[in-house]
Formats: sequence, C-alpha cells, structure tokens
Amino acid sequence: MEITAPAVILTLVWGVAIGCVYILLATGLNLIFGVMKLVNFAHGQLLMISAFLTWTISVASGMNAYLAIIISMIVVAILGVGVERLTFRRVLGTDKLNEIFVSLGLIYIFENAAMLIWGPHSKQIVSPFSGMSFALPGISLSYDRVVAVLVVVATLAAFGLLIKKTKIGLAMRATSQRNTTAMLMGINVEKIYMITFAIGAALAAVAGGLYGIIFSFDYQVGAMPTIIAFAIIIMGGLGSIKGAIVGGLLYGIAEQLATLFLGGIWGSAVAFALLIVVLVIRPNGIFGEKGE
Amino acid sequence: MTLKQQLTKLVRSKSFLFLIAVFAVLALLPVLISDNFFLTILTLITIFSIYATSWNFLANSGQGSLGHALFLGIGGFAAALIGSSIATATANFLGSTQLTVGVLSVAIQVLSLLLGGLLSAGIGLLIGLACVRLKAWYLAMVTFGFSVIAATLSSQFDAITQGINGFPTTTLVTRGLPFYILALTFAVVSISTMYLITKSRIGMAFKAIHGNEPEAKMIGINTAKYKLIAFVISTFFAGISGGLYAYFIRLIDNSVFSPLNSFTPLIMTVIGGLGTVVGPIIGAVFLVSIQQLLALPSVVDSLRVSLGPFFPEVSNVGAPLSFLIIGIILLVIVIFAPKGLEPQLRKLYGYVVKMLQDKEAKPS
Repeated sequence: MEITAPAVILTLVWGVAIGCVYILLATGLNLIFGVMKLVNFAHGQLLMISAFLTWTISVASGMNAYLAIIISMIVVAILGVGVERLTFRRVLGTDKLNEIFVSLGLIYIFENAAMLIWGPHSKQIVSPFSGMSFALPGISLSYDRVVAVLVVVATLAAFGLLIKKTKIGLAMRATSQRNTTAMLMGINVEKIYMITFAIGAALAAVAGGLYGIIFSFDYQVGAMPTIIAFAIIIMGGLGSIKGAIVGGLLYGIAEQLATLFLGGIWGSAVAFALLIVVLVIRPNGIFGEKGE
Repeated sequence: MTLKQQLTKLVRSKSFLFLIAVFAVLALLPVLISDNFFLTILTLITIFSIYATSWNFLANSGQGSLGHALFLGIGGFAAALIGSSIATATANFLGSTQLTVGVLSVAIQVLSLLLGGLLSAGIGLLIGLACVRLKAWYLAMVTFGFSVIAATLSSQFDAITQGINGFPTTTLVTRGLPFYILALTFAVVSISTMYLITKSRIGMAFKAIHGNEPEAKMIGINTAKYKLIAFVISTFFAGISGGLYAYFIRLIDNSVFSPLNSFTPLIMTVIGGLGTVVGPIIGAVFLVSIQQLLALPSVVDSLRVSLGPFFPEVSNVGAPLSFLIIGIILLVIVIFAPKGLEPQLRKLYGYVVKMLQDKEAKPS
C-alpha cells in the first residue's frame, strides 16, 4: 500500500478495530488473572472456537451473524466452565509452570479438534453488512468495523456494570483481593472461579465472532491475539480495565502502522519487540507490583 | 570433593548405569532391525533427546522457555550455511566441484555443528541477559517473542538466510546408519555433559535457584550469573540439535522457528518427567513414535478410510489426530501424574523385579 494520508487514516481505523478485539481478549484474561491468579494461555483458542461456531451457526441457520455471536457466547461460556472444572482447578495452587503446561495441552486439543471439524482452510463470516461501507473522501470505512467497535463498547459497558454494581461482581472483587478472606465472608470461591472463567470465555467469544466478521480466520488464529492480549495486560497493568483499553488500542494501531510502514511480516514482531523492551526495563510490567 | 571423587561417585550411581544401558541398547538396535523407517524414528529420537534435554536443563534452573525453537533454528541455519560453504571451499581447494562423502566431510559436519551450537549459545547469552530478571509467564512470553522476531528477521534478510523458501542442506554424512551413529554420539556426549553439570556444584546452584530464588540469593549464590550459565549451556546444546535436525531432514526454512518446535521439547520433558535425566528421552521416544506412526502411509490410508467420513474437511487425519492425542496425554499427565512417566516406569520396574524375586523365592 502506498503511504498517503488516507492510507494512514485507514490504517488507524483498522488498528482501532483489531485493537477492540484485543481489548475484549485482554479484559477476559485480566479478569481471570485478577480473580484466580491464573494465566490461561489457551484463551485465544476460545476466540478461535467462537469464530468457527459463529460461522457454523450463521451458515447452517442463515441467522444474522451478530445474533449468532450471542449463541456462540453461551456455548463458549459453558465450554469455559468445563475447562476450568476439568483442568485448571486441578492444578491451581501447584507449580506455576503447570498452568503453562495445561494451557499448552488445551491449545493442542482445541486447535487440532477445530482442524478436524472445520478443516484447514480459512473462512470468513458473512454479516448482513458485508460489502457496505461509508464513503468518506479518499477512504471507505466498512459498516462491520464500526459495528464491531460499537459492540465492544456495549460489551465492556455491560461488563463494567456487572463488576461494579452486582452482588456477583462484588464477590469477584472480594475474591481477587484475598480469596481466603472472601471464603470467610461466606463467598463460595469455587463458584466464583467458575463464573469468572465463564465470563472471561464469553468475552473471548464476542471477540472471536467480531474477528471472524472483520478478518478471515483458520484454526491457528488464536495464538497471536492471546500473546498480544497478554502483552497488553503486562503493559497496561494487572487488574486495570482502563489500562487494557488504552493498551489494546495502542497495540492495534502500532501493529497496523508497522504493517503499513515495514511490511506485513513485521506486525507481530513489532508487537513482541515492544513487550520485550517493556519487560526488560520493568520485569513486573509497567504498573506491576514488586514481587508477584 | 575433588572432581575425581565426584566422577567415581557418578559412574557408580544407579541412574548413570541405567543411562549407559539405554545408550547401549540404542546403539545396538539398528544392527538388529535394519529397517529404514525404524532408523528414521531412532535418529529423530536421538536428535530430539538432545533438544528436550537442553530444555529440561534450563527448566532445572527455574527458567521455562517457550521459545527454544529460536536456538534450534539458529543452530540449524548456522550449521547448514557454514557446512555448505566450508564444503564448497574445500572441494574447490581440492580441485573438484563437489566434496565426496568421507572422513573430511564428516569432520566438516562436526565442525559446522559445533559452530552452530556456539553461535546459538552466543545469541543465547544475549537473550539470557534480557531474561535474567524475568519470572514464569513473563519469561515464557519474552522467549516466545524472540522466536517470533527471529522468524521475521530471517524472512527480512532472506538474501543471507534463504529462509522463506528454505534451502537443501549439503549431505556430508551418508543418511541411514552413519548419520544415526553420528547423532547418537552427539546425544551421548551432550546428554552426559548436561547430566554431569547438573550433578556438579553449578547444578546445585541451579537447584537452589529453582527451589527458591530469593533464598538462593540470600545464601550467597549469584543467581543472575548461574541463570545465565544455564541459558548459555542449554542454548548451545539446543543449537547442536538444530544442526543435526537440519542435516537430517535435508532442508531448512523459516518454519523451524514455529511455536510448535518451541512446544515440542517442553511437552517431551513434561510427559517424560520434568527435572529427571531420562525424562526428556522417554518423552522424545513417546512423541516421535506417535507422530511417525500416525504419518506412516499405511496408517494414513486406513485412517482415511475409517475416520475420513467423519471429518470430510480434512485430507490427512493423521497429523491433527497425533497432535490431539499428544494434547490429551499432556493434560492427563500434568493433572494426574505431575512428575511424568519416569516415576511410573520406575514403579513398574520395581514391581517387575519384586515379582521375579518372589518367583525365585518359592519355585512351584
């Protein structure tokens, strides 16, 4: 692509759109980490599964793709509960490396199961707005990207309300501060863990549906967004939703600008270089506390 | 204890004898079964044993890498490039266009492998410096990031690396039995070296750091220094295994940096037994066997007939199926037998020995 003003603007818009996907993923990871002190490296695979599910539902029933995301969200949330109960709960509190191993096992299982079911070729979800776009001078902005941003804003608002205003949100915040005390206050911590994981998975599912509408995807699509979401959490600060939003937008834009100026292969390399520089200077993240 | 005392103690220890026995069996096996497929599996097992052991060596010092493919790749590219250029130069010097396979070519291959290992260790030192202060997931992320960046750089400087399309490696050692023996020799030397280091004072420092880093620092261990040492040694051997791998599969390209190659040594080590000597080897045997068996033409054909109708989207069911099985095995092992297969096999061995003794005690 030639580097002109409209191209840069378009790149920024693309960056915001992909950034929104990262924000949802990062918020889910952040929530799970905050409450359970657990890093689920297989989080992006939930995004991938959701993209395929949304595709299948919208193709099989001819349903509006955006409605299909809601169904996929419920299915993936249930899947998340299953994953938490069957795997992560059993290694919680043991060596931290075990979480990485379990995540890896899950990545292998999800990716290859998806490949067996949906095949190796990339797909894209057809939304009701496909091919429609706002014609602005010099650039054309597709409806889907604008809708994606709106959906992310709405989802985050709902999530914020859930955390700040409901009893479950209160219990989750209490558990994240100190789970033993929360237990003494009569909170069923295991149930909270389950709900937390389900919400995190549901956020990943929304991200997956939107990703599948904006971009084409295949069974390997989950890996990169997970790592970028993780990077965003590290840079934006653990437990901070605002940090995740700012970080997500910055990352999305930085990645797209790198792609524009340096070429397509540089997108993820630049994302990692940023992460490495930050971690080498501050081993616990920008806002991370000393120690853990 | 002097070095000599340490060595005698080692040589007399049980696990060392077991290791020797394993190597002896591995060396004799191809003589008994001279099947090409079998030899391929054995060679891959020896190469991946070095690779997995190098990962395990690093993990012993409390550092879990998710980007070891970087060093596999650097070793592979360096050995292949150095090997082919030295071979061409030597051939020109001798006045022919191509070097014939002989003692000289074997020497060139060994040299190129060592140089590949050294280059990998050099880069390992630099990356280790960046990683020394990082823990658990942070370290995992950063090492993973370096392997992604390496793939990008190797595509960017394609003129030097020829990484995008890849290039065939020069055959310096005849494939088959000669190559297997070369790989096995490297494996024996590498794995024993790492084992000896683990049992030495340096290894004790690694153990202390793995156990509790602040405490290790408190009793006067220079944790940063020892973590760096672990990084350099581990990456050296990972580089060597990369060189062997590149020569063995006869082609090297960017895909060597893939996350899959970073995860493989981890999975092998965890399945076999984290922190044990034979663990990575058991894991290598296990993983390579599953993958190669499910890639056999006859197995692929029968899978296509039996499972194909269920998965109409996939042309070759074998590959994803093998990864799926590996994923399930990994989960089951981490959850139900976190110490891996090694203690289970030890238990089985003890059980068999006891059964045999019981039989001897009261002959019927």
